[in-house]
Amino acid sequence: MAKSKTAVIQPDWISKTLAGALLGLGLAVAISGLFAWWGAGGIDTPNKVQFNMWVIPLYWMTIWSLVYLFRTGLRAWLVLGAATAAAHIALFVTPQILGAA
Amino acid sequence: MRADIIKTYKTLHTWTGLIAGMALFICFFAGAMTMFKGTLDRWATPPQSVEWVDDSQWLTLMQQTLATHPEAENGFVLNLRPAENVAAPLVWDANPERSHHDPQEPWGATLNKDGELVTYRYAASPMAQLVDMLHQTAGIPGEGHHLFGVYVMGVISVLYALAIVSGLVVLLPTLLKDFLIVRRGKNLKRFWLDAHNVVGITSLPFHIMIALTVIVFAFHDQLYAALAGTTYKDRPLFERHAPHERSMETVADNLLPPAVLLANLKETAPDFVPREMAYSNPLGERAEVRIGGENHDHMVRGSDRGFVAMDPYTGEVEGTEYLPGQEDPWTEIIITIFSLHFGSFGGDFMRWVYVFMGLAGAFIFYSGNLLWVETRRRKQRRKGGPVEQKRSTRLMASATIGVCWGAVAGVALSMSAGKWLYDTMAADTLYMWAYYVVFLASVAWAFWRGPGRGAVELIAFAGLAWLTVPFTALLAWLVPGIPAWVQTAPGTLAVDGSALVAGLLLLEMSRRTAKRVFHGNTDSVWYAGEPVLDEQPVEIKANAA
Repeated sequence: MAKSKTAVIQPDWISKTLAGALLGLGLAVAISGLFAWWGAGGIDTPNKVQFNMWVIPLYWMTIWSLVYLFRTGLRAWLVLGAATAAAHIALFVTPQILGAA
Repeated sequence: MRADIIKTYKTLHTWTGLIAGMALFICFFAGAMTMFKGTLDRWATPPQSVEWVDDSQWLTLMQQTLATHPEAENGFVLNLRPAENVAAPLVWDANPERSHHDPQEPWGATLNKDGELVTYRYAASPMAQLVDMLHQTAGIPGEGHHLFGVYVMGVISVLYALAIVSGLVVLLPTLLKDFLIVRRGKNLKRFWLDAHNVVGITSLPFHIMIALTVIVFAFHDQLYAALAGTTYKDRPLFERHAPHERSMETVADNLLPPAVLLANLKETAPDFVPREMAYSNPLGERAEVRIGGENHDHMVRGSDRGFVAMDPYTGEVEGTEYLPGQEDPWTEIIITIFSLHFGSFGGDFMRWVYVFMGLAGAFIFYSGNLLWVETRRRKQRRKGGPVEQKRSTRLMASATIGVCWGAVAGVALSMSAGKWLYDTMAADTLYMWAYYVVFLASVAWAFWRGPGRGAVELIAFAGLAWLTVPFTALLAWLVPGIPAWVQTAPGTLAVDGSALVAGLLLLEMSRRTAKRVFHGNTDSVWYAGEPVLDEQPVEIKANAA
């Protein structure tokens, strides 16, 4: 258990909680959107939208509940922010890649 | 596991749990009751004699009603079977605008022995519906597009999900070592903590599922909007059924007899047992009949029903998305999720399992709050003088017992008041007032009397409150002419029987709590015995409260 002081996680309650709430939700929506396009059946499968909506809280709360493992709130924002941005960019270009208007 | 992780997640667990705990207690307790919402509704409906009609008369009944009661053109429900809570074979809401939760002006129609139409206004019992509202909102009032309390519970469920994960993280290092051990020793806190952990870990999947589904129930509109904005864009989220193509005019004379529709349906879905047929806009272009029914071999979309839509003029089956056993795979997943929340699979056995899961959940939240209080307890040192407990823990302890036992007592007294004061005022006002008066008075009582005395008295009060339910039934059976009634079908009598058991268990719980409160450790918020003035620590026989 001898950890150097810098390795100890800081609580950073407010910044981590905001990262989990906001970026977590943004990332969750993007993951669900990517699955809507790339996952089984593709975007036009009837009734799949219900599934895509239902799993958002699962992604969201998983991310949010694990956000406190980041060493600092700043790291949480940087890592989750980058992941959220990347996921949304991927989601944005997906229709072009798949050739669907 | 690293100590800093445990510490962080312990803090997270403590505060999310503390904020969410009491509201969740109410929702879980009321949710356990809603597992038998249909039975409760039958139990709460005064006996009525309803002239029932033959299957062959259904169409005549519909046509005659439409001819004489234009309000029924908005839609009506044809009940296929009599039950205690079914006021007529054909019912409609003459004023459907005011609320989307309850019929505001329910009317019923039937045919008398000579085949003449008889219509009447009736009063539907709101009791089961109010228990359901309590389940969905924890009793937090207000109504917008959704009930305001539903949004609050959505937020609470976010905290609840965080509490579940953080609780698991805290427990992980000792999970295998202490697995399913409940230590009943001198250390009462250890006992409560063990019990909290065992119940929590064994029902973990249930709680994860409940937390996530409630977030969806509250925020599905917003989540759909997010998906529409980022992903679906111009694509419609939901398919609309193609407009009906019919060769006939949509007038009452062209309606197909319901028995013919049911025969058609039987070919598509032989195992589906139809219970009621809800006609919407029967004389309009978009005329549709939604048939609700049971199928015990499949999970269903509603709390006890699957659905199928048909064209009332052609008899074509229009949507089989929610017809049990015929869903497409995506809908089947969704139905499974709904079904897991509602416990609507596996019949009455599974409903009882869900009742106990709900009550076990309520125990987790109650014990969680008590553990918070216990952790902050100021211990009396050996040979030290009496200690004063912190104000915050006293208040938290009072709030917990007031809210929890107030809700438990409130529902029971509301149920009994609904029978004794029946017809003295509007039924929904009566039930609401009875619940909130008892609930708020209990909370006030808990703060006034303090946690120790308050707990003993309020648990006993809740026990007596539940005993009024079977007592009312007994009086109604023995003494004719009193306003109260008793429904004597086995299912409805089981309500009275369950209330009797609940009342007796609560009285026993109160007796045991009293032992600790008056004879237990003096250095506790719960102690309410003789003030301790001497320096000798009081010798205690450990007694699991």
